[in-house]
Amino acid sequence: MSDEPQENAAGAQPERAIGEVHALRCADCARSDSLVQGVEPSSRVQIPPEALAGFPDGVPRPPVGSHSRRGFLLGSAIGMASIYSAAHLSWEAVWDAASAQAATPSTETILVCIYLNGGNDGLNAIVPVSTSQYSGYMAQRQNIARVLGPSGGGKVGTTVMPGTGGTLAFANPLVSGAGNNGATVGLDTLFGDGSGGAGSDLAIFPAADYQPANLSHFESRDYWFAGALEEMSTGWLGRWLDHYGSPTNPLQAISIDTSLSQSILTATAPVAAISDLTQTSFEIAGTNVNKQVAGLSGIAASRANVALGRSRSIYGETVQVSHEVSGLNGVSNAPGYPANSDLSSKLQLAATLLSAGLGTRVITIDWGSFDTHGDQIGSQDPQLAVLSQALGAFKADLITRGLEQRVLTLVYSEFGRRIGSNDSLGTDHGAGGLVMVSGSSVLGGLAGEHPGVQGDENDNLVPITDFRTVYQALISEWLGGDPNAILPGGPFPGIARYDGGTALLK
Amino acid sequence: MSKSAPKPGGQSNKGEPVGVRRHRLHRAPAELAGGLITASTPMSPEMVERLFWRAGFGPTNADREQWTGNTLGAAVEWLLSTPAAYSGTPGTDQGAAFDPTGNDSDLVLSWVDQMNRSINPFVERMTFFWHEHWANSRESVSPPQLLMTQTELFRKYADFATHPKANFADMAYAVTIDPSMLRYLTGELNVRGAPNENYAREFMELFTLGVTDAAGKPNYSQTDVEQIAKALSGWQINDNDPNNVFSYFTQSRWYDGPKLVFGEFANLTTADVVKLVLSRRAHPPFLVNAIWNEFIVSPPDAATLKSLTHLYTSSGMQLRPLMQAILLQPQLFESLEEPNMVKPPVVYVVGAMRALGLKITDTTASDYLDGMGELPYFPPTVAGWAGGLSWLNTDTALARFNFISTLLQDTKIKDVEGESAAEAYVRAYAAVGSPWLAAATQAKIKRFAAAAPSSTPDTRINRQITLRALILAGPDAQVM
Repeated sequence: MSDEPQENAAGAQPERAIGEVHALRCADCARSDSLVQGVEPSSRVQIPPEALAGFPDGVPRPPVGSHSRRGFLLGSAIGMASIYSAAHLSWEAVWDAASAQAATPSTETILVCIYLNGGNDGLNAIVPVSTSQYSGYMAQRQNIARVLGPSGGGKVGTTVMPGTGGTLAFANPLVSGAGNNGATVGLDTLFGDGSGGAGSDLAIFPAADYQPANLSHFESRDYWFAGALEEMSTGWLGRWLDHYGSPTNPLQAISIDTSLSQSILTATAPVAAISDLTQTSFEIAGTNVNKQVAGLSGIAASRANVALGRSRSIYGETVQVSHEVSGLNGVSNAPGYPANSDLSSKLQLAATLLSAGLGTRVITIDWGSFDTHGDQIGSQDPQLAVLSQALGAFKADLITRGLEQRVLTLVYSEFGRRIGSNDSLGTDHGAGGLVMVSGSSVLGGLAGEHPGVQGDENDNLVPITDFRTVYQALISEWLGGDPNAILPGGPFPGIARYDGGTALLK
Repeated sequence: MSKSAPKPGGQSNKGEPVGVRRHRLHRAPAELAGGLITASTPMSPEMVERLFWRAGFGPTNADREQWTGNTLGAAVEWLLSTPAAYSGTPGTDQGAAFDPTGNDSDLVLSWVDQMNRSINPFVERMTFFWHEHWANSRESVSPPQLLMTQTELFRKYADFATHPKANFADMAYAVTIDPSMLRYLTGELNVRGAPNENYAREFMELFTLGVTDAAGKPNYSQTDVEQIAKALSGWQINDNDPNNVFSYFTQSRWYDGPKLVFGEFANLTTADVVKLVLSRRAHPPFLVNAIWNEFIVSPPDAATLKSLTHLYTSSGMQLRPLMQAILLQPQLFESLEEPNMVKPPVVYVVGAMRALGLKITDTTASDYLDGMGELPYFPPTVAGWAGGLSWLNTDTALARFNFISTLLQDTKIKDVEGESAAEAYVRAYAAVGSPWLAAATQAKIKRFAAAAPSSTPDTRINRQITLRALILAGPDAQVM
């Protein structure tokens, strides 16, 4: 005992080499409010390498006998899925359900939702450039306004969108090419000629929202995620899954995160959250001590003590993970994604999971920091460039994987921003947000009118498209099912395209 | 660092050393059998453990010696009347003094170092609470001196020995015109003619009222936000000298005209609207709950909440009496036999370093705080950290464990030839500060000790490190 005080004396020089600090994933630094913090997974299951290959040889079975089964489980995981379901689902149940859906060549449609966190300013992404509108736009937000044509004079430029009669233009960070987003793909290449014909695969709603605008991040998110102008205990996609999804396969809807998106909260159907496909282990001086930690995690805490119960169960779940990533053959990094972007990683993981054929119908991604009260150009523009590149790269990746025809990507935010900029070179909370739907099945072009910059009495854009109009079309035309069973208060007005059309899809 | 003298005869091959037996934590606390805990209740070891974890960063052995058997009221009084002071000399980053304005790791480390060396841990704990509450991030606040100055401001509302009358009304005004806040929530750019609503909204939503009251009724309208934003206009920051940054008011940038706030129509100033917002009925319960939830798991019942809000308002929004009442709450001592609150990462990290008697010597603490999801000065949003159970997930559990194993690798561990498994356990338990462990957990760890190889110096040292890590970083160590 007497040696202890000296051993731990402050400032004692380490005798051993300082162990290399593992590059730990930050617990999602941008943890957002869209995630449901209060909902606990009913279980977590490991993702076996075979899952990413679509179980070509069936779900791997552990040899009979509990001891070897445990060895099997410890040795073969490449990640964890947090499962949210009414009942506790075992490893076998999850993967049997997934592989049952994987067994038949799937033609089912898939929706990937990208939520731009913080309230994206649509007006500086899609700019009204008709003579009558542009002067008003310029007057209201001179300090952050886009210029017509190429960027110059310290201002970011615009590129007119075909098929809009010259009334609208992309801000150049959204456009492909050097000096713009720097990539060979972007919203312009997805949008094509805006006619909805071949190669025109991006539908744009310049001002989709609800009325009256609430202006609170938190309330607006609740509405968008619920698909209703009230707080609900389920998300709009969650209710669709309850009605039309699988009662057994939690991988039918996946949040690419450590917790669940509110939009896929269900009443009964199981859903999942997956944040990563590489894991490390509990280590001491380079030695794996998973086994010892597992022993400590199995002790029951008193029922009322949720903190200790949570700690022990989380430790147990973490232990179930192995470092073996040798089975990661299903994960390949397709080219073209913007480097060092969280959005790229999330979309790549989404593509990987989708190509595994696990019966996934819905994926949610939460990304970005769009609450641009100040220095908007410096923060929104780089994110717009990444978004544009990433959507192009994601589409190319899905084409390579033979999946693109089955995938639609929805991009949205909780609100648009005030028409008039503030003196902080930013914009305050507003209304009428930019919504986009991408995919080669999509009837590209202007899918809703631009409201113009006259604004309402609060200087906010007047939403042209109810956000539930978009949800309604996604359900009726793409996912399948009766929108009125999913969206309270419906039916909502149909799509009113710029060219007079009423469809979302080709 | 305190150095306990060896106790001759205090241990045998079989028994536990005297210092450990005193702190066995799983017997039923006699105090509870007799009824409610009050200020005059003599504290059991479990109560000392609980109080110092919740109000600090865990007890040191000196805290245990001093307060076990003493009354709860005396200990709370000590926490609230011992000024900020730090033991020893500051830590270092790779042998160099911290350079908090030169790099952000050192900015974080220099505060964590103060927590680690604080004599009265409550002052730093409460200061950090205010950082969680009025969350400003280095991501958008420059120069870093602004955040350091803001922390000093917060400390005035945490060091009740030096500022016994500190009250929230003063604090709310001071933070409203604090340079860091003016920068973070863009108040410095809020000017007549172009009001910026950012701070006005968050001031009510996150800092003082909440969106709705207990009955679900909105606490303010969009009009209130807009009108308050006008009243708050006109403030700017002079940061010509980063070491002497201050805010100042420019009359010509202020919206000089009547505003309608909560039905009051007048030419309101910044001070007026801060006062108006704090006078709303929703404010006292909002603030009392925010502080309560930092220290206590179960929510207050209606009567307790009422008495605390009354104490708060009748004292002129003073913080010391409120804190004293909260730290004396019997609910703070619920589930003593099995701690029931997740340690926030900062508390866990500082607590472990204090238990091991380690100083900061590199960026290990800040690196792992990042991995655990709570890097001071980098809250994820203006709402701070979500906290509670969300601290624990399969990513952060690894960070929590591997942080301790990294610390232990830097600790010199002596090989004791012929040490039995039981002795190895006793030595490991004492070396990591004799923390709470469930009886079943202790039994399991002892079984690991018995099964671990011990025939060579390397295997014995490995056994010792493993035991210490399992005790200090396992699932039971995550609660307080």
